[in-house]
Amino acid sequence: MIIGVGLISLYPILYNVFISVTNQNLYHFKHYSFIGLTNYHNLLKTVDADFFIVLARTFLFVAICIPLFLGLGMLTALALNHPAVKFKAFWRVALIVPWAVPSYITALVWKFFFNGEFGTFNQLYRLVAGPQAGLPWLTDPNWAFASIVLCNLWMSYPFFMVVILGALQSIPGELYDAAAVDGAGALSKFSRITLPLLRPAILPATVLSAILTFNTLNTAYLLTQGGPFVSAAKPGATELVMVYAFREAFQLFNFGYIAAFAVVIFAMLFAITLGSLRFSGLVREEAR
Amino acid sequence: MTVQPRELVGQPLAIGAEERREGLVAKGWRFVSRAAVPVVIYVFLIAMVIFALFPAYFVVQAAFRPGQSLYTLTLSLWPSDPTLDNFTYIFTKIPFPTWLRNSLGVSVGTMVAGLIGSATGAYALSRFRFAGKQMTLILLLAIQAFPSVLALIPIYLILKTIGLVGSPFGLVLAYMSVALVFCTWNLKGYFDTIPRELDEAALIDGCTVTQAFLRIILPLSLPALAVTALLMFLTAWNEWVMASVLLLDENTYTVPVGLWGLQNDYRVPWGYFAAASLVVSIPVMALFLGLQRYFRTGLTVGGVKG
Repeated sequence: MIIGVGLISLYPILYNVFISVTNQNLYHFKHYSFIGLTNYHNLLKTVDADFFIVLARTFLFVAICIPLFLGLGMLTALALNHPAVKFKAFWRVALIVPWAVPSYITALVWKFFFNGEFGTFNQLYRLVAGPQAGLPWLTDPNWAFASIVLCNLWMSYPFFMVVILGALQSIPGELYDAAAVDGAGALSKFSRITLPLLRPAILPATVLSAILTFNTLNTAYLLTQGGPFVSAAKPGATELVMVYAFREAFQLFNFGYIAAFAVVIFAMLFAITLGSLRFSGLVREEAR
Repeated sequence: MTVQPRELVGQPLAIGAEERREGLVAKGWRFVSRAAVPVVIYVFLIAMVIFALFPAYFVVQAAFRPGQSLYTLTLSLWPSDPTLDNFTYIFTKIPFPTWLRNSLGVSVGTMVAGLIGSATGAYALSRFRFAGKQMTLILLLAIQAFPSVLALIPIYLILKTIGLVGSPFGLVLAYMSVALVFCTWNLKGYFDTIPRELDEAALIDGCTVTQAFLRIILPLSLPALAVTALLMFLTAWNEWVMASVLLLDENTYTVPVGLWGLQNDYRVPWGYFAAASLVVSIPVMALFLGLQRYFRTGLTVGGVKG
């Protein structure tokens, strides 16, 4: 069965490496030939190559998203864990709903919200700013980027909320008692007890979520198809790594080129995964 | 196994801790009026619930809205004349029932095939020593780091070579390539928590390895198997990218691909899309919310093992 797993899961990856050294594309679909490392050269030849633009943008996206997810998840978890809050089960289930919605439905619903004319956000905005007003949610490059962050925030904060809430509930109350005896205030209790004890739960969750966010395709592609495009030669404003790969591969059919792209991205992601696992001690345990 | 007692002991402790913490928090914030903190928290929670539930509410009301009345410039939160037209339309005028059947077939196929593959694989990884085991574990991790979108090109070309592009079987194979790795890893973690002595005792009593697996390990890991199976089902049920590339004909579409086409066509009223989304997401959301308490246990099992 291991061999079966190997065949089904590993073979496509090895085959991908093979495609990456051929010139298979729309014009050479059946009769492609071996072209060595040309694809890799094209991918990385200049600093302003598509690869670096898309990669930098994706890193920016992750860097903006993760603190937001983490912050909102932390706030909701702390609020839910507060002893004064009644009906905890109700709040918990209500706040977890975004996680349960299939992501393609999330994306398409938010696409309607962001619609310039009929979208709910501009309907709301018109209540404040007058009947002619409208914000360019998906049509302006920066707004489109922000819109995708907002949509991702909605669907991703419940994950952090659940992880942090679970960790919060496992912190023994005695620690807070002892701190209070020693004269600690609420803030120092949070920074000296809560945060350090949450670390083991938050770290792996953050790494996992960062990798998932790096791989964002559904929300970005379904909302904007990678656009808005400022110039035809450059990637669009919301063209994240996976959106770029998907468009290049299945709209432009540059198979060889994207296979090379995949190998480079994969090497990066694998290094990060291994590094973070070693970091959180998981691999060490498995190795025993 | 180490988790169970810890959780049981943790329960009463946590309740006592909450009461004690209440006094402390009030003391810490003594310069704020005692009532202010709960009020702020409730305001925040209510705002968050509106944020969390509004999109869901929006789909519900859109599904009951007649014709083109969604396309207005002013805000309207509930249709003045709700109807079921959207639901009758999607079930009678478009191939939505076919899409539902395709989705169900593909999801169940992925679940069954994936479960057989990952349970046996995980058993081998958890119980046997063999050459290259360490290598296999690292490889599994590596494969998991490979984004499925990027694997789509080789998958597409391979399926094209064996003539399975456009067929639901090809799609099941593609889903398996993604789901198998995660599920094997997941189940291996659970199998590791089952004491080895149990299957060793069975082997001494004359069981074959297969019998030990079928009669001892599988029954003991039913909860983990159920969660893994449902995760696989949900993955296939909600997947859009692969299906959109690998399915070519409207009659083989799964629901996500069909709905995307419906939504992307501006001649089609959005109400149909809303009604169809409601039909496909309510069962999976119910499953998800019902299962969510197991997620935490799943996370803890991984955390305290060893």
